[in-house]
Amino acid sequence: MTTDVVKPKPGLSVAVLLAGLSIGFFVVVALATGETAQLSGQGVTGLLQRMVALGLVAIGQTFVILVGSIDLSVAALISAVAVLASHIMQGDAAMMLPAVLLCLGLCIAVGFVNGALVAYGGINPLIATLGTGLVIQGVLAASFGALQGSVAREFQVVAYGGVLGVPYSLLLLASLSIAAGLVLDRTLFGARIYAVGGNPDGARLAGIRTERVILFAHMVASLFAGAAGLYLAARLQSGTPWIGRDGIYDLESIAVTVIGGTILAGGKGGVAGTLAGVLLFASLDAGFNMLGIDAFLKQVLRGAIVIAAVAVHAVRARGHVA
Amino acid sequence: MTTVPQTSLSLRRPERLALNAGLVIFVALYAAIAFLQPNYLELGLFMNFLRRAAPLVILACGQLYVILTGGFDLSMGAVATLVVLAASILINGDPDTTWAVIGALYAMGIAVGLVNGLVVTFLKVPSIITTLGTMLLVNGLALAWSGGAARGDLPDNFRNLGRLVWRDVPVIGTLPLAAVVLAGFVALVWFGLNGTVYGKRALAVGDNPRAAELAGTPVAATRILAFVVSAVSAVTAGILIGGFSGVSVNAGEGLELQAIAACVIGGAQLLGGRGSIWSAVFGALSLFALFTLLNLLGLPQALRDSIQGLILIAAVGASTWRIRRRT
Amino acid sequence: MTAVPSLSMTGISKAFPGVRALDGVDFECLPGEVHAICGENGAGKSTLMKILGGSYRPDAGTIHLAGKTVQFTHPRQAAEAGIATIHQELSLLPHRTVADNIFMGREIARHGILDKAAMRERAAALLDRIGAQIDPQALVSSLSIALQQLVEIAKALLLDARILVMDEPTAALDERDSRTLLNLVDGLRGEGVSIVYISHRMPEVTAIADRITILKDGQKIWTRPRDAAPISEIVRAMVGRDLKDFYPSPPASAPGEVLVAITGGTNSGLQDITFDVRAGEIVGVAGLEDSGKGALAQALVGDVPFTGGTVALRGRSIDLRTPRQATAAGIGYLPGDRKREGLALRQSVRDNALLTLRSMTGIFTRPQRGALASAVIDERLRAMDVRAANFGQEIGTLSGGNQQKAIIVRWLAQASDILVFVEPTRGIDIAAKAAIYDTMRRFADAGRGIVVISSDMPELIGIADRVLVMHQGRLSGAVPRGASEEDIMHLALGLAEARHEESGA
Repeated sequence: MTTDVVKPKPGLSVAVLLAGLSIGFFVVVALATGETAQLSGQGVTGLLQRMVALGLVAIGQTFVILVGSIDLSVAALISAVAVLASHIMQGDAAMMLPAVLLCLGLCIAVGFVNGALVAYGGINPLIATLGTGLVIQGVLAASFGALQGSVAREFQVVAYGGVLGVPYSLLLLASLSIAAGLVLDRTLFGARIYAVGGNPDGARLAGIRTERVILFAHMVASLFAGAAGLYLAARLQSGTPWIGRDGIYDLESIAVTVIGGTILAGGKGGVAGTLAGVLLFASLDAGFNMLGIDAFLKQVLRGAIVIAAVAVHAVRARGHVA
Repeated sequence: MTTVPQTSLSLRRPERLALNAGLVIFVALYAAIAFLQPNYLELGLFMNFLRRAAPLVILACGQLYVILTGGFDLSMGAVATLVVLAASILINGDPDTTWAVIGALYAMGIAVGLVNGLVVTFLKVPSIITTLGTMLLVNGLALAWSGGAARGDLPDNFRNLGRLVWRDVPVIGTLPLAAVVLAGFVALVWFGLNGTVYGKRALAVGDNPRAAELAGTPVAATRILAFVVSAVSAVTAGILIGGFSGVSVNAGEGLELQAIAACVIGGAQLLGGRGSIWSAVFGALSLFALFTLLNLLGLPQALRDSIQGLILIAAVGASTWRIRRRT
Repeated sequence: MTAVPSLSMTGISKAFPGVRALDGVDFECLPGEVHAICGENGAGKSTLMKILGGSYRPDAGTIHLAGKTVQFTHPRQAAEAGIATIHQELSLLPHRTVADNIFMGREIARHGILDKAAMRERAAALLDRIGAQIDPQALVSSLSIALQQLVEIAKALLLDARILVMDEPTAALDERDSRTLLNLVDGLRGEGVSIVYISHRMPEVTAIADRITILKDGQKIWTRPRDAAPISEIVRAMVGRDLKDFYPSPPASAPGEVLVAITGGTNSGLQDITFDVRAGEIVGVAGLEDSGKGALAQALVGDVPFTGGTVALRGRSIDLRTPRQATAAGIGYLPGDRKREGLALRQSVRDNALLTLRSMTGIFTRPQRGALASAVIDERLRAMDVRAANFGQEIGTLSGGNQQKAIIVRWLAQASDILVFVEPTRGIDIAAKAAIYDTMRRFADAGRGIVVISSDMPELIGIADRVLVMHQGRLSGAVPRGASEEDIMHLALGLAEARHEESGA
């Protein structure tokens, strides 16, 4: 922007603040515990890599929340994609492409169903996506619970390979983040998302086909969840029907999005804030590890932090929430 | 132009329909069960059905309070798990402490409900996030406390609450203690909604909290009380579950979603303003009847989730469609 | 008239379940004409405009644009045909910039990529054309309601709309901003735009309209040129009675003891507010949109409390920190935005009327005991002439007038001493207005007090025993009954040199 009017984007300051906070916490804990190795290039890369799975899901979640919807089916979809990918590949590199394509196809289908239920069926998005999530989870547990399979060794490069010391997974997250940011900020689709989320009736009266925008936003969310699922399959070598649920990706993706300044009502927020939220969670996670906090206690702290972080945003807004 | 009688009549209908919908679905499903297994028509088996359905019905009643005021309580399942694990740890095989421990369990539940309510009303965190947070928190606490594994056993006097069945009772034959607990609990929550002004306050708060506040309604207290009732119901359900299933680290897993699904099936409207205690009771009985039916049909247990998902979508879709049609 | 009408609607009918909303209505508008539509709520104005805007499809009748027959199935088609509608409720995106809003749904883009610079430039040009000093980069949430209204108009003009429908465009505006808007309408008429103007404000209609059409119960009563339609005729056609007996007569006796006295009331939006309300008195509060008159109402009912100063009720100092405390002290609030702040729309008429009683009684009170019984509240609702097929019906289905009456019943049931009304008749049709004014007078005559905050100046002059005027968060003066609009405007604009201290009449 070259105009002399300086209008800082409200989302950006939240993002900067959060990122600063996260890094500060990480550094302080690393110094306090004497784990200074964590502050080396390798340590920081490790920190950033913690962001990948949640980051991918959360970017997708940002799209649906911006449009005034929500997606609770991401956790189940992540599991489905991870299981499907490893099941199709069975360690065979030749099956990599078909597996990825099939997984993305599944994501598009799930996103389509979610979007259609919400936009055309008029069903509350919490319920619609909770429902589709349960359907996926059930089918997955019933039919793939016992099946074995693993991704091709070559596919694991996604999680473990890198170029010039930068892991491919980070490059993937970075490029998809930038793409998502550009889509939201610079394209027609992005403008429509903000319009539909900010004022659905107004958008409809302005001639926007709001249903279609909601539908596409859901497809984007599902595709990002799928990307996270593929990454997890690569990292863990094989998918299990509970990867998504165990990672609480549904709740955490919503939490980091909201923490990053995207409002649940829609129409305000963006990718930068969401990524800052993801960084916060990654630093906390890394910090807790350095402090040697037990896994269950970590869960307790996480729950408390989700609430506290959202509260910081929420108290400023007057009025009631439900 | 909207005060013409015909319109208003059609507007009143869904309220009565909602009450009947849950009951009708339940009767239909139970008829299907009886068709497959005629002995389900015997009073004894029906009582047994009630006994097993009791925790879900109780949870749904608590969840309904929160739904009416416009929120969700996703921490119920975790509270039930905490109750089961805490009971086994605290009682530690000494039956004499059972009653004191039950008191302590209720105190814990009320504490969780208070936290949920206070965070939602004063920190203004949407309830779905708050209670997901407390769900993680309570689950983590329960696991950290028990070391992540089921320890110890529950004494008989505790387990009896869930599994004791009186035989040779006049007229009805057998009477499970859990069914009595269920009846008592339903009567209590029914009284809360219909026997006091609380129910109407809750509906107004769920419908329009801002208008309610400006009209003098104690919005915060109404909300907090709903979360406390919900947590108390989770403790009650947890005690019954501990009774007939014993100690396990995932005793309450997924129950919160079942409770919400039950309310929705019964016709309660999510985000508040509409519903009655019968939405919860018949919705929960319907859901449990469906699970039973699926078992009888030999469907894998895992598909329960899928069916539940479909029901949720269908139930909300149907009510959305009804609302659309009349406008 | 020889010109081809740019819009002509013939024989338009539309029925909803149980309601005949429009019955064979004809309507036309020439290029460069302002054609006003008047009618009570429910007369069919909004339905007619929704049909024109493509939101509804008519059951019968045809629409011609410049002689060509058209049929719309989506608002988009109406927009593309050159019809722009400015709705009663703003349809803006508060968190986006002015330029983003103006181009909502019509963004300038190449291959899906936005051309932001081009949009900023055109937005600036459009805003310039309507004489609005607004930065296209500003966030809409940072603008006043009046400026937001201008953004809406710029949005409509983006399309080079040949037909502009304005549905109560001044409803949320104060006197000064309304005038700006009317000047703008006048300018657009000069450019040859056809303007369909819907309003409840009679002086506005007769000032701006070339022709006036009256709708009643879904039928057209008449269409006349402005000169053949004096206000009295319009009102008679709309409601079938005269304006004379519109406002109740002033009280026979002088006001009594002081009910409530505010001294030095201060908060972030208010400074040094000092006045009192006596028994039997209706005190009006006037002021421009940003004068703080809304903040005064919120402070009086404890919604956004005073942070300094004292409030005394019948001589006893009280705290008004929450609406609940205000309610307990006997102060009732009737907000201007009934849908958002007044009603639980999905609950019954009865439940809405009982809301405060149920909220203030002990929690274990049986719901049917004493004043809480259905029979008792039904009697009160009937006495207030709330018209519903059944008091168990959802209040959302009632007209604005009946909803307002139900809220009044809520506070009467609570036996409140002081009622704070904000825009008591906004969006309420003329017949119900008279009934509400009458109720207010009777309430005051029974030895209680009313504070009424309104942007409708004839209303304040007609109903209030004295009018306090606010300017920039302060009371800039007070005028007694019988003062003119000019007197009030003078104070509202802050033109009076010395600030009059309220001397308690």
